[in-house]
Amino acid sequence: MAEIMQDRVEKLKDLDVFVYHGKIFIPNTYTAGLTGSRFLIELRDNKRIMATRCQACEQVYVPARSVCKYCYGQLTEWVPVSDVGTVETYTVDGHSNGVQPMDPPIIYGIIKLDGATTGLVHMISGVDFEKLAIGMRVKAVFAEKRVGSILDIKYFAPLA
Amino acid sequence: MTTEKAEKKPELIKVDIARPRTYKWSSGKYLGRVYKEALENKKLVANRCPKCKELIWQPAAVCGRCNVEAGEDWVVMSDKGTVVQYTYLVFPLWDPHYGDRLANPYPTATIKLDDDGVFLVHFLEERDPEKLKNVKRVQAVWKEEGRGRGLGDILYFRTIDE
Repeated sequence: MAEIMQDRVEKLKDLDVFVYHGKIFIPNTYTAGLTGSRFLIELRDNKRIMATRCQACEQVYVPARSVCKYCYGQLTEWVPVSDVGTVETYTVDGHSNGVQPMDPPIIYGIIKLDGATTGLVHMISGVDFEKLAIGMRVKAVFAEKRVGSILDIKYFAPLA
Repeated sequence: MTTEKAEKKPELIKVDIARPRTYKWSSGKYLGRVYKEALENKKLVANRCPKCKELIWQPAAVCGRCNVEAGEDWVVMSDKGTVVQYTYLVFPLWDPHYGDRLANPYPTATIKLDDDGVFLVHFLEERDPEKLKNVKRVQAVWKEEGRGRGLGDILYFRTIDE
């Protein structure tokens, strides 16, 4: 693949091509909402992953949501879940586009934390690609400086 | 398992999306020439069809009228023209490339360049609605530092007396 690209670059050198450098930059801000804010504040202040629980449907939602997706009931019961979980599925992204939070290759995964019934989409890092597998156990690695963002969890690292 | 009620005045978290998305593409031989001439020489160029002898704007490999290969008969176009029509939209706009709010929106006009058959849509410097009615002849004012955007490197068209 790299050879093909190099070959194309060599061919382009002889042509009089003009490269258009574009940038789309539309900054915007929105509120995480009451439930989302509380979830993020717990990450920031207590390094704790909190979930909302629906007793009737036996669901524990991570990330926390305010309404149960089965019974539409208001969820007011907060429960902490473990920072250790199981990889449900994953994908490897080798493409760089400047808006990603990490340098590629990035492993995106859906992680079902112990105690939760839903998966959390996040990144998995510090793992050999050969050892990457569905069902592997991972643990959240928190950032040193936390600002109230889902990226306060830097990534999930395999449990030694 | 703990059960807690939400506090009365909870802190709300703001989620900021503030990463620019960059991209690049090769603009090819014909459009690339327009961008390059605008950036380096502050000139507008077009290629001439060998069959109908009309200018092709924007420059292309094939003449849309005759369906023949257009070739490389490059012509530097005049930067002067006549206003055909205009509209003055008093509304703040976003620059989609840089996310800036255009503080001073200019009237938009269709300008017929002195070279036959070439019409451009661009801004006018004149912002007085009364004076706008009498604007006929205009000339391009280029940005001091272009970004390689072709027509986008022109700031606006200034009224000239002729």
